[in-house]
Amino acid sequence: MSIARAAGIILAKELRTEFRSRELLGTTLVFVLIVIVLFSFTFNPTSEESRRFGPGLLWLAFLFAGSLMLQPSFLREQTNDTLAALRLAPIDPFSILAGKMAANFLFLLLVEVILLPVFAVLYNTAILPVLPQLLLVLALGTVGLATTGTVFSAVASQARLRELLLPLLLLPVLAPVLIASTESTIGILRDPPELSLVWITFLTSFDVVFLTAAWLVGEYLLEE
Amino acid sequence: MKNLNFLVAAYIAIWVVFCGYLFSVARRMASLQDDIRRLKRNGK
Amino acid sequence: MATEAQSQASSGPAISLPSILIVFLLLAAASYAALIWAPTEATMGLIQRIFYFHVSSAWSGFISFIMVFIGSVAYLRTRALKWDWLAVASAEVGVAFFTIVLITGPIWAKPVWGIWWTWDARLTSSFLLWVLFVSYLILRTLLDEPERRALVSAVFGIFAALDIPLVYFSIWWFRTQHPQPVIGDGGSLAPRMGYALLMCWAATLGVMTVLIRVRYHLEAMRSEVDAYRMNVSRNG
Repeated sequence: MSIARAAGIILAKELRTEFRSRELLGTTLVFVLIVIVLFSFTFNPTSEESRRFGPGLLWLAFLFAGSLMLQPSFLREQTNDTLAALRLAPIDPFSILAGKMAANFLFLLLVEVILLPVFAVLYNTAILPVLPQLLLVLALGTVGLATTGTVFSAVASQARLRELLLPLLLLPVLAPVLIASTESTIGILRDPPELSLVWITFLTSFDVVFLTAAWLVGEYLLEE
Repeated sequence: MKNLNFLVAAYIAIWVVFCGYLFSVARRMASLQDDIRRLKRNGK
Repeated sequence: MATEAQSQASSGPAISLPSILIVFLLLAAASYAALIWAPTEATMGLIQRIFYFHVSSAWSGFISFIMVFIGSVAYLRTRALKWDWLAVASAEVGVAFFTIVLITGPIWAKPVWGIWWTWDARLTSSFLLWVLFVSYLILRTLLDEPERRALVSAVFGIFAALDIPLVYFSIWWFRTQHPQPVIGDGGSLAPRMGYALLMCWAATLGVMTVLIRVRYHLEAMRSEVDAYRMNVSRNG
């Protein structure tokens, strides 16, 4: 079976598991809402300030959401030792990782797309005219978040204190993504909007570097 | 000779970190050696 | 399972006396070069003499982190635990060097700019690098089984090392868009300053080698003790 097909099956399995309960998506959505509301107390959200700080706190909220949401990705497999069963399947081990990455990417993107209008209303920003550019940045940033996050979820799931460990491992590595996506979002929300090529290229290279790394070393994490 | 105190502070900091690290390795080494001695005694 | 490195571990010291002597001579010479021999900088004065060990510690810390990468990759390829020992030894020594960088940086900044910390590109990236490898070391303490620890932390070590250039580029571009006071950009160095810096770098590289060897030796011994314990508990 080809890697893509196997990954597709894993992806379908992940989506089915999640949409049966929807607990992960619901919890993460509410979590990000709480973060956005709490952030509004740290500065004056209606003024010119929100244009400067808004994108940064939005991305910070997404990063936090990712570091919580990706936790169960491998932990969930441990309760019934289903990862061992997956490993026994006659498929390339990377396809397990790839399927999970794709699923996490979709979950995160869904959360972000739902929250974007909420954010726009709460923080007084017009996003409709620049929606395509915003979606591009969201997608690129989320690929980086989902790639490293899925790998680190596998890393953390094998250690003690795993719940605490994932944010600790993930957030420093994602600092470049935070900078790049915040800067490009600020550029897009500026008047007139501008899409910063430097940052888009940077985000793309971040994604390529870590996707390649995950492809090269990720399968070791699934070893028994 | 202005700022001599800052220079001295910086060099003290460097040596403190250096010696502190050496000390921590030495301590870990010593406790390991204790373990080895205990294991050898119990092994006989 | 006694590999060659493991049997070496128990016999003989990790470092020879001559190598310690050489490193101390290098350190003395470098300190002399940095503190006395190099000319005093015109505008910053004496405080600029921190620069030599500050910068060379950062360079040596970098090399240590690159060795974490090498050790991690080599472990994944060969599955010989000695590469894991190299990775953990280098990570600890690198963190120690960057601790020096992060302490001497503010001590330098205070008299020159009047503030302890500026979110200058280089200081910020050093800070992030330090955090990155501290979390690598924390990860290791939370994994118990030696082979599992080696494998999992090697993957994280590779990811952390790949992140280094990305951290640098992103922060550098970020800071060029938001002007900040730049630390240590004093234009070209006087020749003697350059030599003093090289001396200091040689000395910190020597220190780095000795520290990594000692730490490697410790890890090798610990591994041997663990293996022995495992045997005893299995047979007894």
